[in-house]
Amino acid sequence: MSSINLSAFTENASRLGARIQETLSERTRDLALTRSVASSYFDVPEDKVKNVRKQLDSSSDREKLDGIKTLIALISKGRDVSEFFPDVVKNVASQNLEIRKLVYIYLLRYAESEPDLALLSINSFQKDLTDSNPLIRAMALRVLSGIKVPLIGNIVVLAIKKCAADVSPYVRKAAALAMIKCYNMDPSHLSSLIPILSGLLKDKSPLAIGSVALAFQAICPTRLDLLHQNYRRLCRMLVDADEWGQVDLLDLLARYARTMLPKPERIDDMDQDMKLLLECAEPSFMSRNPSVVLAVTRLFHYLAPPSERHKYVDPLLRLLPRSKEIERIVLSYLVVLSHDSPSLFAPLHARFYVRATNIYSTKRDKIRILLNLATAENYQPLTREFMAYADDSDDRFVSDAIHALGRCARLVPQSMPDCVIALMSCISKNSSDAALSASVVVLKSLIQSKLPSRNSVASSTISPSHGTLEVIAKLAGKIEQIKHPSARACVLWLVGQYASSDGIQSNGIPGIVEWAPDVLRRTVKTFSSEAPIVKLQVITLATKLHLLAGEHDILSRLIRYTFSLARYDLNYDVRDRARMLGSLLTGIFPTAVNGSSERSGDAIGTEGVGGVVLRREQVMLVLFEGKQGVVETESWSDEHNLLGSLETVLGRSMGLDSARRLPDWLEEGTEPSLRDNEDDEINVSPFTPAAVRSMTAPGHFSNMTPVVLTPRTASPLGPAANQPGKGGWEDLDAFYGSESAESGSDEDDDDSEGEEDSEVEPNDSERREGIGEDGGDLDDNGYHLQEVDPGQ
Amino acid sequence: MAIDGLIILEPSGRPIIQTNFRTTSPVYPLLHIDAFNDALAKSPNGQLDPVIYISGHQGPSACCHTECGDLKLLCPVSGDIDPLYVFAFLSTFVDVLSDYLGEVSTSSIREHFDVVYQLLEEMLDDGHPLTTERNALSDIVLPPSLLNKILSVTGVSGLSKASATPFSSPIPWRKAGVRYNNNEIYFDVVEDLRAIVNKSGTVLSSNAWGRIESNSRLSGTPDLVLSFLNPTVLQDCSFHSCVRLQRWIRDKSLSFVPPDGRFVLMEYRHGPSSSTTLDSTRQLTIPFALSPSITIQEHGGSFDLSVTSRISSKPIEQLVVELYLGEGATSANCLASGGASWGFDPKTLTLRWELSKITQGSTNTLRGTFTSSASPARPSRAFRITFDIPQHSFSGVKVDKLKVAGENFKVFKGVRGRSTGDIEWRW
Repeated sequence: MSSINLSAFTENASRLGARIQETLSERTRDLALTRSVASSYFDVPEDKVKNVRKQLDSSSDREKLDGIKTLIALISKGRDVSEFFPDVVKNVASQNLEIRKLVYIYLLRYAESEPDLALLSINSFQKDLTDSNPLIRAMALRVLSGIKVPLIGNIVVLAIKKCAADVSPYVRKAAALAMIKCYNMDPSHLSSLIPILSGLLKDKSPLAIGSVALAFQAICPTRLDLLHQNYRRLCRMLVDADEWGQVDLLDLLARYARTMLPKPERIDDMDQDMKLLLECAEPSFMSRNPSVVLAVTRLFHYLAPPSERHKYVDPLLRLLPRSKEIERIVLSYLVVLSHDSPSLFAPLHARFYVRATNIYSTKRDKIRILLNLATAENYQPLTREFMAYADDSDDRFVSDAIHALGRCARLVPQSMPDCVIALMSCISKNSSDAALSASVVVLKSLIQSKLPSRNSVASSTISPSHGTLEVIAKLAGKIEQIKHPSARACVLWLVGQYASSDGIQSNGIPGIVEWAPDVLRRTVKTFSSEAPIVKLQVITLATKLHLLAGEHDILSRLIRYTFSLARYDLNYDVRDRARMLGSLLTGIFPTAVNGSSERSGDAIGTEGVGGVVLRREQVMLVLFEGKQGVVETESWSDEHNLLGSLETVLGRSMGLDSARRLPDWLEEGTEPSLRDNEDDEINVSPFTPAAVRSMTAPGHFSNMTPVVLTPRTASPLGPAANQPGKGGWEDLDAFYGSESAESGSDEDDDDSEGEEDSEVEPNDSERREGIGEDGGDLDDNGYHLQEVDPGQ
Repeated sequence: MAIDGLIILEPSGRPIIQTNFRTTSPVYPLLHIDAFNDALAKSPNGQLDPVIYISGHQGPSACCHTECGDLKLLCPVSGDIDPLYVFAFLSTFVDVLSDYLGEVSTSSIREHFDVVYQLLEEMLDDGHPLTTERNALSDIVLPPSLLNKILSVTGVSGLSKASATPFSSPIPWRKAGVRYNNNEIYFDVVEDLRAIVNKSGTVLSSNAWGRIESNSRLSGTPDLVLSFLNPTVLQDCSFHSCVRLQRWIRDKSLSFVPPDGRFVLMEYRHGPSSSTTLDSTRQLTIPFALSPSITIQEHGGSFDLSVTSRISSKPIEQLVVELYLGEGATSANCLASGGASWGFDPKTLTLRWELSKITQGSTNTLRGTFTSSASPARPSRAFRITFDIPQHSFSGVKVDKLKVAGENFKVFKGVRGRSTGDIEWRW
């Protein structure tokens, strides 16, 4: 009997086993199939695309999922799959959350192009708004507001209204965001949205509040009066909001404070509400999110008294090593900040040294910052840095670095000698073309700005070791190595301008320095192949030399040759300049320049032609004093200097009046009593996340019991009568101080530390962990392991 | 202030993921993709400004972009938005992606594109960041796993549903109802030394940037207090949002309810304090010394480098010396001592010398020549040197103890140190 049973059992068992194996192998085949499919959604063959419709109609969730995934993959590839819209819409109420989410993604993409069909799905979303799952409620609202069909505007407003009163903060957050979409779709809903918004502003949840602030900025940025009653509470909620919410909330509060609060001049007589904002915002400097740090920086830079500005220096600099993108953006803001308050950053200049691997815009901004920070104390390391950068392999940056030397010399007069030595060394050593030509241009403008008139040549030098003339002589000697046209032109101009040998011993032609004619000789040789800008300067040099040296046999011939070359040049500017300069000289040297041109029949140059003829002194004035002003190569632009603005980063206008610009201060702030709110008096310490409080031991609820201070009646009698009110606030602050200290210690001490002191195991306090020290247990991964006993 | 959308490009420059765009014009994303690819092709050695200005016929816009593995992430923005906000979002998104997919690459994105779309849908609502906390996200978008795949294949769809009660946790960064058999928490103290050394070997600027990466596997809602023996070495700290800032301000200990799983608990700087930056003696010491000698000639040059370790207690691992040989560099020919490897990458024009391990007392040299079509050759003015030192800390920060409150179980904690460095050495 038992044996029969046993055999029957084994038979059954083996049959079952076979069955299981069969199913399993089937499933695994399926599995293998799906796995290969998963990665090949992107390479679906055409016939499979046709199959999608059938899949979407199928009763199996797996088929449907496969179908909708194929469609999403096609969207990804940039293909228009709107033809499947009717089939997809049918699945909008699918029980499978994953299918539903993918359907939503599809819907949002094509709803606008298929408004009629999209309307079919509205009912299902309205039903979802009452679902028990907050995720589904929020999703339904998000899709409903995302379908940009103006026809359903009123339905969306109703849905928003319903969700704004939802119990879940996540849904309320979605409601705030939906308001923006609704308003953008049809601004005429503003009047019905504002009451919902002002209701949401009272939201107690730190999760939703950031999006509410965002919606406020998007929908009714000018209705700051709605914030009066909520201002103080919003300030206190700041620290608990999520990081994106903090950014939006900070922007909103900064705008409110600029419009409604008096401008704080000094830290000790700040408006209490301003003080509250700054105190509540300050801990956010410790956020890991760079955009939060910047939002607080904006607040402190644009609103706080200048004495508070030092607080943002370290937090901002800490962002630099995060990533090259963040470094690039933060640096462009630091250019603005270091310009506005250089003394804050000057001791930290080494943090802005350029690395060879930085990207160009980072390098450029670092140089700008270093220049902003240059002082009489730190110019030496800075000029050494700029010198090092002149060897960079990026020509643009090399030129920036050399121009920086010039700027530094001008900004910090003491640095002039160092900078000139540095520039000269760039010229004498085997520098790149870029370094060489930039140095020449910079030296020229330095000489020009230091020596506005040629008369002072002999007496003035720009550096103790390098007389101006020595510098020019050296440049003149290098004329053949200097390839860049504008640099060559600079040298020629310098030679002409300072060629006068007044008061200097000269071995050459009297009246001019001895090396000047040679420069002319050398450049005339290559005249035909020079750039127009160089040719112009060659003629100018020739004219100046002629004027200074007077008639000199060889020189005159050289000059005449120059002019005849110029007269027949291909470039009309060169021809015109030659004529102009030639006629300038006619009064002094009737034949010198135009002698050879008599035969050419050039009417202007020939003798006997009427017109004004200038005397020698007048010509001197025209030629040498004509160029008085020195053009600043780089000047500070006031245009793009707003923190946190794309325009500042790009250095160009985005074509809009920036919404990021903060409003101007009012003459006087608004009445503080406007912001009095009785709900505010029941309060929690600003630094304890409310969520965490409720999670800690029950003992904490004692802290949560509302502390109702004696309600103050808002005084309508103006500022004088308001004084007691302010006094009241100071008391409240003191109260917060003590409360936060108390609650802080309560939190960890009340229920844990008291017992802990007695319960800590001896090894707990003695075994101290040192990283990389050889004591302690190392596990396989190199962790020092230690057992920690619970505190309770 | 909103992001217009997000595009992920594969290495070929074609988009694989594209979110819905706020603007109605279908040309808009295409314009940005083209402008980006164009700018990338034109940029010398791949260095591209992270924000590109784009003038379209609908008005100016900008393209913020970053890279992640072999992929490029593009965020077109129009209107005046803080680019820092965009990059902060992008880095959060990349963190979440790598949490979900492990390695983020073309193939992993292609395989799980539906998950990526779902994530984007939850993280970005009409250009505004929505849910970015990883603990909250994992409640609503299931991470891809083999188990989920098997479940979906076998048709047990009920099980693969995301948590039935999303957003039920009162703490936004921690999910509710976490249970572990073994309760453990690990702290990785990772420090990255960034320094610049000038031609004479003097350190010009140096800072160690530390971060404490944690991996929490604790049940329930534990309330932890982590204290340090020497908190004064930590400067310019920043914290995960779970840390109670007031407590840190008061007594320099970290009091927090940790998120579940991996997170960065805090970041800090260790280096010369603001007032002593100018004093070169207060700079951190570089754990090695490089003595370079380079001669530049008409079409190339020769070099002779040697590296020695300056720390006795631990070996320096994975020391990599890189030198960009400049536009037009064609080849290099070197001899490396002691089994170190070297290479020249013709694409980035960079010479790379890799030393897997150096200890004190040993001298490692690299001698060789390089050729260039440029005359004279213009190699970069500085070496870039990166390295690893396991079990080492520049700041010497020491964890004192960890106290647990709120839960009644034994907790194992593990603390591990690691150091890396990225030094610019000028020659």
